[in-house]
Amino acid sequence: MVRLESIRDCLEGVVPGNIATCAPDGTPNVAYLSQVQFVDSEHVALSYQFFNTTRRNILASPYARVSVVDPHSAAHYRLSLQYLRTEDSGPLFETMKVRLAGIASHTGMSGVFRLLGSDIYRVLDIEKVPGEVVVLPPVHRNRLSSLRACSESLCGAADLEGLLSRLLAGLARHFDIEHAMVLMLDETGGRLYTVASRGYPNSGVGSEIALGDGIIGVAAREGTPIRIGHFAAEYSYGRAIRSGLEQSGVRGIETEIPLPGLPASCSQLAVPVMACHTLVGMLYAESAQELRFGYDDEDALVTLAGQLGAAMRVLQHSHEVGEEIVVADPMPLLLRGQAVTVRHYAENDSVFLDGDYLIKGVAGSIFLALVRDYVEKGQMDFSNRELRLDPRIRLPEISDNLEARLILLARRLVERDAPLRIEKTGRGRFRLRVQRPLSLVQA
Amino acid sequence: MPNSFAPILDGAHAEFISGAVSINAASCRPGGFPALARGVGCRVADDRRSVNVLFGATAAADVLDGVRRSGAIAIVFSDPGTHRTLQLKGDDALVLRIECGDEHLVARYRDAFVAVLAPYGHTEEMVRALLACPVDDLVVVHFTPTSAFSQTPGPHAGEPLAGAR
Repeated sequence: MVRLESIRDCLEGVVPGNIATCAPDGTPNVAYLSQVQFVDSEHVALSYQFFNTTRRNILASPYARVSVVDPHSAAHYRLSLQYLRTEDSGPLFETMKVRLAGIASHTGMSGVFRLLGSDIYRVLDIEKVPGEVVVLPPVHRNRLSSLRACSESLCGAADLEGLLSRLLAGLARHFDIEHAMVLMLDETGGRLYTVASRGYPNSGVGSEIALGDGIIGVAAREGTPIRIGHFAAEYSYGRAIRSGLEQSGVRGIETEIPLPGLPASCSQLAVPVMACHTLVGMLYAESAQELRFGYDDEDALVTLAGQLGAAMRVLQHSHEVGEEIVVADPMPLLLRGQAVTVRHYAENDSVFLDGDYLIKGVAGSIFLALVRDYVEKGQMDFSNRELRLDPRIRLPEISDNLEARLILLARRLVERDAPLRIEKTGRGRFRLRVQRPLSLVQA
Repeated sequence: MPNSFAPILDGAHAEFISGAVSINAASCRPGGFPALARGVGCRVADDRRSVNVLFGATAAADVLDGVRRSGAIAIVFSDPGTHRTLQLKGDDALVLRIECGDEHLVARYRDAFVAVLAPYGHTEEMVRALLACPVDDLVVVHFTPTSAFSQTPGPHAGEPLAGAR
């Protein structure tokens, strides 16, 4: 029997599939399929959108025949299926809902296609239909060798910043993925913040989205990868951000940093970064090209995201072991120029430099602690370890993402062209480099 | 037997299903197992009371077997550009030899379908391979449509065509 995973490209719907069923009286029925979703090597899911003859037949007799065609080679397969059950919530349903939105948008069926359920079928047999096929040239990239090269590159990272930059560079070099970003989960607020990106005019580091918003937010909430090959307005950034913020009743500073993203993004792949079955962040790639990412890309990025999650944990642990508390070495404050007003708002730990928004949340509270120690004690050198122990910074006990927050903070200072910077000085150590006097104001 | 009913298909329907639309057919095999195959051309009788759909006998073996056993067939026609979709059903289907000129009809259908799919990025080579069939493998399924449904996605999907019984 042909194995289902070997014909996954036929399930992308480029050539629409068909489904045949029979009524109890033997009357056949045939209909078009908008979606065939690969579940695993023995199961597919079909979208249930209308209570039609197909559905009536399937509920009376569970057997169906589905035809799918490879859009490049014209290889034609027929699947013999047995209906098992319908899911109307959960990761598979949400994945199919997002994908259907893309398909509907692509086919001019927005507002017509609505997913009522994911019908799960067991694949009983796959038949290769006799016929001609086009002999295709060898694939441009072997995803397994790309995965291996990218994975090896990640192994050499000494810290989170290196890990993220190696990952994004590896995606570009080995997978030709030029637009990608990594977001971390802010455990305290159920939001995701961008910590690194590649391929955008503005990095968007520090931008936030709520869980459940857009393809990234839905994939994060459901803990499942989601991949679409056509633009889906319902899940686009602008709308995602707008609706997310409106729902949470938050306005203002959240939109200060726009989420990076391609204006004409057609293909999107959002992959949860998991560590020990816990969501720690999201890896996201996109392209202006339609149908840019296939099942193999999804598999590769899921594997890389798994390595990323594990590496984040390992690096965090090794730093905790290796870090030392730095003894403060007061430095004379002989700075010239006009003082920069650092204004801190306690309600959300937001920080503004001379009236310009810089950061908020945990990263804001870290920044405040650094500035206060600098202003009050002249301290310039800090360690991650002392920050972890600092009662002024409310870090979660497990998976504190301290390094991610420091990367975010350092990057924001650079992007705001602020007269103070964070520079790494060693393992788990950094220095606050200040160019103008600081005036701290608590609002 | 003379048919006193008006044909289900009007002229526009007949033209639609004879044009550059995708054709897929289902029949029922013993035990209620469905069979499914792609058609490679369609010809409507002048009086529009019967429809003839062409298949490659090898690729459509299961469907033809089901037709021979029961006479029941369902065929769906869809325009890839507009998604306009029509399903016909009949219960008197027969598997017949092709008629003179059918091989040219299949060739014309293939050419037309290549042209229709080109704007959607499907290569000519791919579409020709998908519809390829040796002439000596061609067969015709001849049937009288007894019901016809619009299956164009939307609120009217599944509704019988006006005039359908």
